[in-house]
Amino acid sequence: MMMSSASVTQHNSMSRVRENILEPIDPGRLAAESDLTAYEVFIQLKRSDPHVHAGSLDAPDDEIALQFAREHYARDQQCVHIWVVPRSAIISTDYDKDLVWRHTDQSYRLAKGYAGVLKKWQQFRKKKDIDEYQKSDLKEGF
Amino acid sequence: MTTIPESLKAPLTELLLSTADDKFLLGHRNADWTGLGPILEEDIAFSSIAQDEIAHAEVLYQFIHTQLGGAKPDDLAYGREPREYRCAALVELGDEFDWSRAIVRQFFCDHFDAVRLGRLAASSWPTLAVLAGRLLAEERAHVQHADTWIVRLGRGTPESHDRMQRAIDALWPDTGSLFEAVWGEGLLEPSGVYPRGDERMSVTWHRSIAERAGEAGLTVPASVPKQKQPGGRAGQHTPQFEELLAELCEVYRVEPKAAW
Repeated sequence: MMMSSASVTQHNSMSRVRENILEPIDPGRLAAESDLTAYEVFIQLKRSDPHVHAGSLDAPDDEIALQFAREHYARDQQCVHIWVVPRSAIISTDYDKDLVWRHTDQSYRLAKGYAGVLKKWQQFRKKKDIDEYQKSDLKEGF
Repeated sequence: MTTIPESLKAPLTELLLSTADDKFLLGHRNADWTGLGPILEEDIAFSSIAQDEIAHAEVLYQFIHTQLGGAKPDDLAYGREPREYRCAALVELGDEFDWSRAIVRQFFCDHFDAVRLGRLAASSWPTLAVLAGRLLAEERAHVQHADTWIVRLGRGTPESHDRMQRAIDALWPDTGSLFEAVWGEGLLEPSGVYPRGDERMSVTWHRSIAERAGEAGLTVPASVPKQKQPGGRAGQHTPQFEELLAELCEVYRVEPKAAW
């Protein structure tokens, strides 16, 4: 809330409900963390898109988890579908024990070898005899 | 019909103001819970839903301005005299910073909004029907959210059950305020602008409330209480209302003509 200007009588601009919470909460009465399950949230922005990991949340059960996911993650951007997955359902690798990315150089598997091809084609096309070749090729084929 | 007759603009304005004012006040009240909700994710969800309510109010004020010749949305929202607001007593009351009251009030109001928007979504004026249909789709998500908590807290622990039952008992007497007729709403029925359903709104509402409460192991009285008339729909508000309105309009009143 905006602070009152000097010409207006000073008063507490905050909502009065906050005056009621000065009493300390007894930690024994807080929800036990074991009451809540961790879920991972995936959202789909458009129907043809893959689901993208948006974050995680804690919820008491599946139905509430879906509602929480909608109110928390599906409000900042247009979104058409939500998955919530209990974190316990996720099977994953171990950072220390499992090798994910290989040690040996197998860069021949990657597609990057074709990155320079466009430039080469552009250079060839600059040369006039290639144009003549293409013209005669087109004449023969069509 | 492509547009409504001049004679129906004033009654429809009253009706849509009552709808918008209910949502505006409720959204404002619920925004007080931001940062103070019972668990983090519910705090976020409840705040998000409060934003929805205010968005619905804005959409309705905008409709009144562009389609019915009303003042600009900001001036409608913040610039009227207290007796010109059409909100029901139930949304004006504080919740004593008690979560059970906040969620039970949401339960009552969201179910009512769903019934009211359902009627508007069946309007013979397509422009209105389309708008109400969109709001109704969002309102159904609110109903789902409130229902979820009513059932879980009702059937939770003895403490959660007692708190919920006490909240229902405390708020029930003011539920009648939702159903007070708005001036002129009867005039909107013959043309179908605000078509009558097969039964009274209070009957439809009571049935869905009782069903959900039963599922939650909670009890509600057999009938909707009569509210003192005239009430909020006629501009007669609770003693808390002027203070609440002053808080809501504090920034606007510093400079009503300010551009935001």
